[in-house]
Amino acid sequence: MHEGSITTQIVESISREATRRKAKKVTEVKLTIGELTFLNPEQVKFWYEVLTKDTIMAGSKLIVEEGKGKVRCLKCSYEGSFKYIEDTVLYTPMPTLQCPKCNSSVEIIGGKDCVIRSIKMII
Amino acid sequence: MSKPLGDVVKADEGEVFDIELEENILRANQKIADENRDLLRKHGVTAIDIMGSIGAGKTSLIEKLVELLKNRYRIAAFKGDLTTTIDAEMIRRHGVEVVAINTGKECHLDANLIKKAVQRLDLNSLDLLLIENVGNLICPAEFPLGSEKRIVVVSVTEGPYMIVKHPFIFMDAQVVAINKVDLATAMGVELNKLKNDVAEVNPKTEVVFTNCRTGEGVQEVVEALGL
Ligand SMILES: Nc1nc2c(ncn2[C@@H]2O[C@H](COP(=O)(O)OP(=O)(O)O)[C@@H](O)[C@H]2O)c(=O)[nH]1
Ligand SMILES: [Mg+2]
Ligand SMILES: [Zn+2]
Repeated sequence: MHEGSITTQIVESISREATRRKAKKVTEVKLTIGELTFLNPEQVKFWYEVLTKDTIMAGSKLIVEEGKGKVRCLKCSYEGSFKYIEDTVLYTPMPTLQCPKCNSSVEIIGGKDCVIRSIKMII
Repeated sequence: MSKPLGDVVKADEGEVFDIELEENILRANQKIADENRDLLRKHGVTAIDIMGSIGAGKTSLIEKLVELLKNRYRIAAFKGDLTTTIDAEMIRRHGVEVVAINTGKECHLDANLIKKAVQRLDLNSLDLLLIENVGNLICPAEFPLGSEKRIVVVSVTEGPYMIVKHPFIFMDAQVVAINKVDLATAMGVELNKLKNDVAEVNPKTEVVFTNCRTGEGVQEVVEALGL
């Protein structure tokens, strides 16, 4: 829902970096979007296209990969993916903050970020 | 965050460079949120972020909290939800300062908006800051504000599946108020099922049943928030 403002920040960061390095053109950007963010990759791509029009980023390729959600158990030190619960009314299983191994509570250690990994530019 | 220019070997004209950046976009909000928390703590102000759908009962809960707590704490409120009805009357009656925050088209408050709004307050004459977030069960979870605690208000009129359909916001809340308990029977909603759903998603969250029209359960909310 807030892809517009987040993508604006992404484009500003890339633009800052490109200007700093006196780039003539940006050709490719790699982005990781965490599974636990509320950013829809398709909408980010849409906004990216709109916001980079008429800039040195125009036409550049935006590669988006998903950052997997990751939790850590405070009790048994399990590290890995969420425990999901299947519910008949749900289309997709529901993630929980329960440890898949020992059922005590876990903390989220990955999947909440949106990171610009790298930028390809012609200098 | 970015690498210094020095690591680039001098380029020929038109050469392609692949530059690693590793810049975390959402971290910017987190950083300001941390600064807000530090500033508020330094002045002994506890901020509570109140989240939930439009109509869940966020404003009603704030009014009841103010009634219960106004003799113990000096209180201010932020309203980010522009549909809210915390009004001048309330300010006059309870001596609570209210700052409206215009989020424009955004679906959530963010730490920078809170930072600006906090500048309008005299933190030395304040103990408690109640922040009504924008009515939305999804986006506010992504933007910590710098509050000590986050509470989600859900009402039974949102139906029996609203928790399992929006699990993420409950992962970020220390307290959940299941509101409008007076309408549970009429809505055919099983209160303990809702409580159980919250416990499944986040075993650490405290669940309180409330009626924010009568004030039933609001004392338990106060205790759950550690106020
Ligand atoms: N029946 C009933 N109505 C409530 C309760 N809490 C709030 N309301 C009503 O629900 C409506 C929306 O409440 P409000 O606090 O404005 O919701 P907000 O949009 O989350 O701020 C108002 O008409 C309230 O009077 C409750 O516990 N029971
Ligand atoms: Mg309201
Ligand atoms: Zn465990």
